[in-house]
Amino acid sequence: MAQYFLEQARVADFVAHLLASNTVYAPHRKGSRSYAFAKADDPAAVVLDYPRTLSSVKKFFLPPREVLLNFDLTLDAASVPPVEPGNAVFLGVHSYDLAAVRRLDFNFTTGNPERNYLARRDGARFIGVSYVPDKFHFAGSVGIDPYDMTGCDMFLTKHADGWIVDIPTGEGSELAAGFKLEAHDEPKPPRAHFTQHVFVPQARLGKVMEASYDHPVWNETADACLGCGTCNLVCPTCYCFNVQENVDIACTSGQRERSWDGCMLRGFTEVAGGEFFREKVAARQRHRVYRKFKYISDVTGQPWCVGCGRCTASCTAKISIVEIVNRLIRDSERDESILT
Amino acid sequence: MEQQIQQFGAGPRELYLPEMAVITEVRRLTELETLYTVELPGGRDLGHKPGQFVEVSLYGIGEAPFSISSSPTRRGSFELGIRRVGMLTDVLAGYAPGRKIGIRGPFGNGIDVSKFTGKDVLIIAGGIGLVPMRSLINYVLDRRDEFGRLIICYGSRSDSELLFPDELAAWEKDPRTEYHVTVDRGTEAWTGRTGVITTLLPGLALDLPNTVACICGPPVMYRFVVMALRGRGLPDQNVYMSLERRMKCGVGKCGHCQINNTYVCQDGPVYNLPDIAKLREAL
Amino acid sequence: MAKPRVAIFDFTGCEGCELSQLNFEDQLLDILAQVDIVEWREAMDDKADEYDIAFVEGALSTPDCIKRIHDIRRRTKVLVALGACAVDGGVNAIKNLHPIEEVRATVYGQDQYLFPTLPALPLSAVVKVDYNVRGCPMTQAEFLRVFTSLVMGKQFEEPDLAVCVECKLNENECVYERGMICLGPVTRAGCNSHCTNFGQYCIGCRGLVSEPNLKGMNEVLTSHGLAVDEAWKRLQLYNAYRLQGVRA
Repeated sequence: MAQYFLEQARVADFVAHLLASNTVYAPHRKGSRSYAFAKADDPAAVVLDYPRTLSSVKKFFLPPREVLLNFDLTLDAASVPPVEPGNAVFLGVHSYDLAAVRRLDFNFTTGNPERNYLARRDGARFIGVSYVPDKFHFAGSVGIDPYDMTGCDMFLTKHADGWIVDIPTGEGSELAAGFKLEAHDEPKPPRAHFTQHVFVPQARLGKVMEASYDHPVWNETADACLGCGTCNLVCPTCYCFNVQENVDIACTSGQRERSWDGCMLRGFTEVAGGEFFREKVAARQRHRVYRKFKYISDVTGQPWCVGCGRCTASCTAKISIVEIVNRLIRDSERDESILT
Repeated sequence: MEQQIQQFGAGPRELYLPEMAVITEVRRLTELETLYTVELPGGRDLGHKPGQFVEVSLYGIGEAPFSISSSPTRRGSFELGIRRVGMLTDVLAGYAPGRKIGIRGPFGNGIDVSKFTGKDVLIIAGGIGLVPMRSLINYVLDRRDEFGRLIICYGSRSDSELLFPDELAAWEKDPRTEYHVTVDRGTEAWTGRTGVITTLLPGLALDLPNTVACICGPPVMYRFVVMALRGRGLPDQNVYMSLERRMKCGVGKCGHCQINNTYVCQDGPVYNLPDIAKLREAL
Repeated sequence: MAKPRVAIFDFTGCEGCELSQLNFEDQLLDILAQVDIVEWREAMDDKADEYDIAFVEGALSTPDCIKRIHDIRRRTKVLVALGACAVDGGVNAIKNLHPIEEVRATVYGQDQYLFPTLPALPLSAVVKVDYNVRGCPMTQAEFLRVFTSLVMGKQFEEPDLAVCVECKLNENECVYERGMICLGPVTRAGCNSHCTNFGQYCIGCRGLVSEPNLKGMNEVLTSHGLAVDEAWKRLQLYNAYRLQGVRA
């Protein structure tokens, strides 16, 4: 496949080229040292070389808050608001976030396909970028290479003072059409190493988890955990939501709105009458980790964690999912060696 | 996974838009429980199985899951037996016939009645667990010849809280129904049996391999009933149970009703015991 | 259906919550259209004997307050606590950290015997409170949620989540990332993370979540190199009543 080269100095020109005929979402600086995907407006404000964004591109397909129904209380009638169409270009996406989008695709298309998600996801084109793993990334351990361009229409690999450009799809060629890119035939630079690793493959992780249901790590983690739900809310594969009713002040109309929810939050399993089905923080921590490495994984054979490191990087209590999983691996292997 | 992407932009059905239905009858069962008869537009059948549930919407108030209490053999409308336990049910308690409510569903797997054909059906219901079980009971009564014995064990906190008193009386009189009832604490007027529901089980004459049991009740009840049934020698694969969790979306998306690896709104609420005996969060 | 009769009262506080009721410029007419306000010292002269809903601002801090709140409770069907002082004792409860005689002497000096005072109490310490509108001043959006719930005849379900939840929904950079103390992880959401949206830290004005992990919070502060003492002083700004007897 032909490769091209995009000098860093021309990145803004390339963004301007994309903007001429597309809606583009790309990473921008946010706060003092963070990054967030936002609608590109000023090409010079787009940042391609970044460690991770606060939220993933999930927020464009499953928005943090979304009106599901508008209702009219005088007529006792409800209608579904139109979903704004997708058809956007997502520039500067890391391979793990695209892997997460594929997992969300699975969740929203199997069983009962969901129109809201599908409409937003429709026509999305992705321009991936490589990244240098920092102290939180461990995507390599869950089989997602920093150069993996699965699902990408274009892919930019950092090299010297610019980016090596791959264009694996026709949509990618259309996006690049009219923008002059020099051919490039040197091989890609070697990948930077991950410093964080989970030490067994998914195939064995299911067994490790199975042996770890009563492991002390859950209670120990619960002592440190503030139960704030941040780990769920920043996770690119978490998709649970809550639904609440908003009534306009005149009490004649309102909206049924969903918003991101998290299994780490105390009220998540509460039913009418006040019964909680996962009341202890320890049980909630276990559920969170099992949702990433066991429950859906047992069915699909894939970890539902993409190794982005957001849950660990964002945890004020510095609870590390890698440390939890590695401890479970270590202890279950030790137990096994005692048994055999 | 790649193939799924082809479906984007297609127009699947609206998952979250309720259909408006009318409450045609309101029957107060006890101080807390009310039975609502609900009719879909044009008197269309809900098309449910015993054990399934619907999501009931009151716009401006919210939405909550309720098990269907009527048998699909009774056509033209369906019934919901609802206990006042919170915000939505409090508001609903003030509703009179003619009021409209939103309905989504039926949801959940329901009971695969074909597995009960020709078998003795043992129903164990605690408290409002009788509400969904009544759907199965009436199904069996309406197609009586397709099943063996019908044994109903019903436990309630008190005789003042017994649901569907007319039907209980009818079951008691029906020679083809074996009806047993116990209350935790009876009022002075109570002449029947006193004690928890498991006390009904040792005395039953059961044709073991030919008996299927179906359990529904408060969360604390399941473990003790399962122990008692195992004590009687009933094989686990003959035991079914209907579980309650927070079924919020009903369509397997929102994540609230998950028990270990199973979604109650999709794989349940009715489970065969061997399928959940291993699930630590289930019982 | 007759409009609900509403009365508004204040106890020990700055009256800022009442002021924010008057500040509902866009919604005030809609609010007034749905209720009859029968008593409100801050805005009108009338007095009434009975009401459907009483909104009560301020903490209880004198023997007279206790008598008055019992009287209001007898006259109203629904009692709503407005703002941090009424809900949690608020800033007033800082005085509870000191011996009451010392507080009285410091504040009133030689006139202290003219002013009986009690340790500050939230309304719920004395009477049954049906609903809370938290915040300092009260969160206006929450007031509207409580108000519409009352008009619709439904219960208001108070949020029991940390401010972090809303902060993440709004994709804010974590305040800890900027090396500052933030009380968001143990403070009750419902404000749509108003302060952190504007680059400030959370000062905990909406009170603690129902099960705060305060030991864990100390660890968080220590591991970020932040002063636990300073953070606890900030926690006590609004939570002194709830944290009585709890040590850092």
